[in-house]
Amino acid sequence: MMFIVRRLVLTIPILLLVSIMTFSLIHMIPGDPARVILGEEATPEAYAALRTELGLDQPIVVQYFSWLGKVVTGDLGISITDRVPVADLIMQRLPATVELTIGTFLVAILIAFPAGILAAVRRGTWIDYTSTFTALGGMSIPSFWLAMMMIIFFAVENQWLPSSGYVPFSENPTQNLMAMILPCLATGLRESAVLMRMLRSSLLDVVSMDFIRTAKAKGLNEARTILGHALRNAMVPVVTTSGLMIAGLLGGLVITESIFSIPGFGRLIVESVFKRDYVTVQGAILVSAVLVVLVNLIVDILYAVIDPRIKAGKGAGE
Amino acid sequence: MFSTKVSKAMLSAVLGTVLLVTGCGGGNSATTENGKSTTTAPASGKKVLNIGLKADPPSMDPNTSTSLYDRHVYASLYDKLFDIDSEGKIVPMLAESYEVTPDGKTYTLKLKQGVKFHDGTEFDAEAVKFNFARNMNDEKSRRKGELKFVDSVAVVDKQTVKIQMKEPFAPFLSVLTDRSGIMVSPKAVKEHGDQYLNHPVGTGPYVFVEQVKGDHVTLKKNENYWNGQVKIDEVNYKVFTNGTAKVQNLRSGMLDIIDDTPVKEIPAIKGDANLQLVAESGMGYQGLYLNNSRPPFDNKYLRQAVDRAIDRDALVKVLFNGYAAPARTAFTKGSLAYNEALNTPKPPDAAEIKDLLAKGGQPNGFNFKLYISTSPENEQLGAVLQNMLKQQNINVTLEKLEYGQLIETGDKGEFEAMQLGWSGRQDPDQNFHDFVVTDTSNNDGRISIPKLDELVIKARGELDEAKRKALYGEAATLLQEEAGYAYMYHQYVLLGMNKKVTGFTYVPDGLIRTANLDKQ
Repeated sequence: MMFIVRRLVLTIPILLLVSIMTFSLIHMIPGDPARVILGEEATPEAYAALRTELGLDQPIVVQYFSWLGKVVTGDLGISITDRVPVADLIMQRLPATVELTIGTFLVAILIAFPAGILAAVRRGTWIDYTSTFTALGGMSIPSFWLAMMMIIFFAVENQWLPSSGYVPFSENPTQNLMAMILPCLATGLRESAVLMRMLRSSLLDVVSMDFIRTAKAKGLNEARTILGHALRNAMVPVVTTSGLMIAGLLGGLVITESIFSIPGFGRLIVESVFKRDYVTVQGAILVSAVLVVLVNLIVDILYAVIDPRIKAGKGAGE
Repeated sequence: MFSTKVSKAMLSAVLGTVLLVTGCGGGNSATTENGKSTTTAPASGKKVLNIGLKADPPSMDPNTSTSLYDRHVYASLYDKLFDIDSEGKIVPMLAESYEVTPDGKTYTLKLKQGVKFHDGTEFDAEAVKFNFARNMNDEKSRRKGELKFVDSVAVVDKQTVKIQMKEPFAPFLSVLTDRSGIMVSPKAVKEHGDQYLNHPVGTGPYVFVEQVKGDHVTLKKNENYWNGQVKIDEVNYKVFTNGTAKVQNLRSGMLDIIDDTPVKEIPAIKGDANLQLVAESGMGYQGLYLNNSRPPFDNKYLRQAVDRAIDRDALVKVLFNGYAAPARTAFTKGSLAYNEALNTPKPPDAAEIKDLLAKGGQPNGFNFKLYISTSPENEQLGAVLQNMLKQQNINVTLEKLEYGQLIETGDKGEFEAMQLGWSGRQDPDQNFHDFVVTDTSNNDGRISIPKLDELVIKARGELDEAKRKALYGEAATLLQEEAGYAYMYHQYVLLGMNKKVTGFTYVPDGLIRTANLDKQ
């Protein structure tokens, strides 16, 4: 418990640093938000008025602290272009991305675990070569290409699945799941390749250890040895990879979201950057950072569960 | 040894996962009568039209709108005082008729009777006055420039409005066929203030239901539409930033119409028996701003050399497969000012260009930097231009700028040459005046030719169409001689459409008008 509290306290300076970096980065992007918002037909008066309204005529330090002051009270500001609270926009977009992340991860582990274990246990056989070759292929194929091929095959040529049409789960669970199958597969297949390779090499390391040989010598059958003893020891690097993967997916699904027209979090960030809606960008990146920190925290706790030797607090740093 | 049984079980698990996730889709989804999925689960017999847009429409309030994508939705949500017909001519819409005094300074509009906004508010002269006042005076209004010649708007009676101009302004009615002519409900504006963009109320064929930013806008049928029976129950505008995915969604039946088609995807539409392509010239142009106020392009001969070195026919063939029109003026077919002879490009003549370079003091050619915005299409365009000019000893250094930065750079005039065009409006003045007259808002090229200014300003005050056309002809010739801006091509509007959609008429502003559409 102490460990969790300590880890949580540690996140505060990290988030502060992220907020400063985000803020500076946004203001380093060339191009003036007021100019972009007003478009090509703006009068100089309207332009000056908007700069004042956005606080762009204030020194950057003043801008930062006034923003931070509001964030602490849970107010992420009002979106420049949409005139709605940024917090609402984020809450509108997060569920789709969280769902896509979970779906992708499920597809990845459902494929990676059996394939990775098989490849390790049957090392040097056709099963190993096939799995490894497929995994390499999976990692090399650009996900947007795979997504497009899947749309053409499953939705255009055969009409087994919808090519887009996300609706929130709460609104229509069936339609939601139908629309999520292709995107989860398209990204999950690629991620499964990464996990599978990690699991295979990690298992191979463990299998050559003394305690496994001892277990075998004691007459334990192979399946029990692998699934009961080796796998748990091989999980540490897999959990690390999974944590990084999930953290990456939460903000990095923008291409999948664009292709399948899913109103997700990644797209919100990218769209807001293009619209120079820097209030939304700041809020979204901050939330994204909080999510990554949370995922890391969960990974650290999992380490302790998997391998009691790992002393809490000495786990994976951020 | 790991038993074969376990191996097999694991292999089946892998295969099973893939099949489970992929194979459970057969026909469980909400389907329409054609067996294709739809984005919304329609109630029985409900006609839903799904339109794919390239970008999110940022604002449902025409007062602050600066995006083309907004205008697509407005075509369903709102009506305007005037509209454009399929010939590009101005026709009354919410106005019944109009009169203009011979001096061009007083417009009297008679309004349609019995029209109601979606919230039940009556559309009358007071509503028109309110909309003009809002567009002319609102602090955040983006419509001030379009209406700056309006002096006052007076209510004569419930159905009559008198608009007094500061000076004659020929494009005035044309301005009223776009956002400045859109009538929004005064009641809704008063009720929602700056939140109005999230609660828009018009008089159009469809009523606003919801907008999920970045995803979709949903509208439903206006049961009491004043201009005929609306046949579609629900219209969804869905955002597809990826052009290829958008075309595939048109093919799979998830979308019925798409707002634009990437050139490389045209074969996919043409090769699909269920789809049709609407390819028509838009009203805009693309070209190069040459900065007339600083070297090298403060030199007329060097501007001319670049202008003459662009092989417009080849450019249109290579980049657009013929789905664009070569251009040498701002005016497209269907425009009052269109002049075919002037707009027809000549192929580059090496001897002529060499001569121009010599006159410009650069007999061995010269270098310049060209800014282009970051999109794959623009990068291709940049590369093609670079190659064309290289053949005439003109070396182009390409530099990519993000769109917002490009606009800002243009405003400040900190460039030698820049690729930026204009989406186009119905009246020639709106595609010309602010771009070529000295010190106007969009004159990024710093063009300053007193004679040209005189002609263009005279043309905007001239109500006689034949005289106006002659003035624009003269002005375009002069601009060509000076090579103030290098016009390259007129972009096409490339709509993709399912053949089940009926009743579509193309209007040269390229907007998808849904009032008369039906779906079989």
